[in-house]
This record gives sequence, structure tokens and C-alpha cells, in this order.
Amino acid sequence: MDFTLRAATLEDCKDIARMITELAEYEKVSDHVKITQKDLEQDGFTKNPFFHGIIAEVPEQHRSKDGHTKVGYALYFYTYSSWKGRAVYMEDLYVMPEFRAKGIGKALMSKVAQLGLAAGCTQLNFAVLNWNKPSLNFYLSQGCFDVTSDMGYHCMRCEGDALEHLAQG
Amino acid sequence: MGYNSVLSLIEYVYINLFIKLERDGFGPNPFFQCLVAEVAQEHCSPEGHTVVGYALYFYTYSTWRGRCVYMEDLYVMPNFRGVATEQQCVRLQFSVLDWNKPSLEFYLSKGAQDLTDKEGWHFLRFDGEALDNLAQEVSAQ
Repeated sequence: MDFTLRAATLEDCKDIARMITELAEYEKVSDHVKITQKDLEQDGFTKNPFFHGIIAEVPEQHRSKDGHTKVGYALYFYTYSSWKGRAVYMEDLYVMPEFRAKGIGKALMSKVAQLGLAAGCTQLNFAVLNWNKPSLNFYLSQGCFDVTSDMGYHCMRCEGDALEHLAQG
Repeated sequence: MGYNSVLSLIEYVYINLFIKLERDGFGPNPFFQCLVAEVAQEHCSPEGHTVVGYALYFYTYSTWRGRCVYMEDLYVMPNFRGVATEQQCVRLQFSVLDWNKPSLEFYLSKGAQDLTDKEGWHFLRFDGEALDNLAQEVSAQ
């Protein structure tokens, strides 16, 4: 199937918000999503964006059952490793179910890798839930390794009241 | 390897890191921010350092909750441990090695959650040849 990849623009925020919700449903955490289309516009498309996006589009004749031509996305941002330097973190990778197994996910991830290398990054990092076997197997088959299993790194978070208390010292 | 060669290698690695940090943290498009902890001259370390700790961080994004901050490094020189943090972020994230019990307990006591244990999150990484191969997958669409 023909598809194209391009950098996300302000006008894509409505579809990105839609697909974020679809991805959260897949990850069984729909009630966790607080981000709106307006937040995405503010946080991704002003002077100092917090993220960048890539959109996968299909031609009109291949649109989804619901009439969408924007059928996948990758959302990423640049990070830093004090051991290895510049890195890129892929926050989301998603392809609508009816468009899977056509190489779109792989192409999106490859694009993030390309952009990362062009920016001088030496790592592409991301996270996956340990029960998500299809995704885990896909990623491992592409040559990545599991930093948590192999090296013992745990992902830690402070938020809400704990974050407030921490900030107050 | 003679002493002079070894010293040169260490200096080379140090200077290389130094230049990268200058370029990546203090140029026009910084990849990170850094806070340093300083003590007064009279409390300097045995080697004479007054900068005794640092936190290296950068802003990230959660498509569920929005703006976050990731703490890449938190370090205090051993002599100064046990003594006693803006951008509308909703989360502070960082990682810790599972064998590093003192740090893990410290963070948990401050209200951090271990998302790997609690929710099953694993970090994955492409680097080196695997990253190069992945980047070459994309053909002109």
C-alpha cells in the first residue's frame, strides 16, 4: 500500500490527539490521557517545542473506514546521555489497526532514527509495557535491546503531590 | 603503554567530554540544562573543589499528561552526601539501577514511584550498528 511520511504541522494536532487516544485504549489506559488538541498545538508548534512529530498518510482512495487519511504517527524529542551525548527519545509510535503489517510502523521508526542520526544522536530510546508482546517482539527483531532487562534500569517518576513536596525541598 | 601515553589518553577523553558538554549544553540549541551545588571555600573537598554536586536534566513530553522533566544525572560527591529543586511540568522522571538500593530507597522515600515494577515499563534502545541499520530501512516513499 502506498503511504507517505512527513513532518507534523499545527493542522495535524486534531488527528494526533485522536490517535493518542486510540493508542491509550490499546495500552488499556484511556483515563490517563489529559492532553488536548490545544495542548499539542501549544507544546509542539511554538518557539521552543517540547516535541516533534511525523505523520503517515495514505491516499484518499485508501482512507480508513471512518474516512481518515492520517493513519499513523511517531512523536519524539531530543534528550541527553551524560555517558554518550545526544540522543533521541521516541515517546509514541502508532499505526491504526487496519493499516498494520504494511511497513508503516517500521518506516516511522526508521525516520526517527534517520532524523536522530542527522542531529548527531547515538541512541534512539523508547519504552514499552512488558505485557505488550507483539510490540516487544517487533522491536527486538529490529535490533534494539531491552535496557531494563539487560542492565537493570528502572523507570522512576515523581508527580502530583510528591512532585510539589520535592520542589519545596 | 608508558605513563605519558596513559596520561595523554585520560586527558584526551576528559577534554573530548568537556568540549561535547560545552557544545551540547551551552550552545544555541542546548540538549540539556544543568544545576550545580556549590559550597563555600572553607568547606571545599580535600582536592579543593567547591562545586560538589550536579543535576543534569532536560524537558520531555508525555502524550498523556504533557510537559515533563527528565533528570539524567543526580550526583553529590561522597564527602557531601546526607546534607540537603519551574516550567509548569507535571512530572519528574529519571531512572535508577535495580541493584542501587540506597538510591532507590531514597527516591521512594521522597514519593517517587517505580513504574517498571508497578506498571511493567521497560526501556528499549537502538544504538551503534542497529541504529544505523534502522535508519537505512526508510526508502523514498
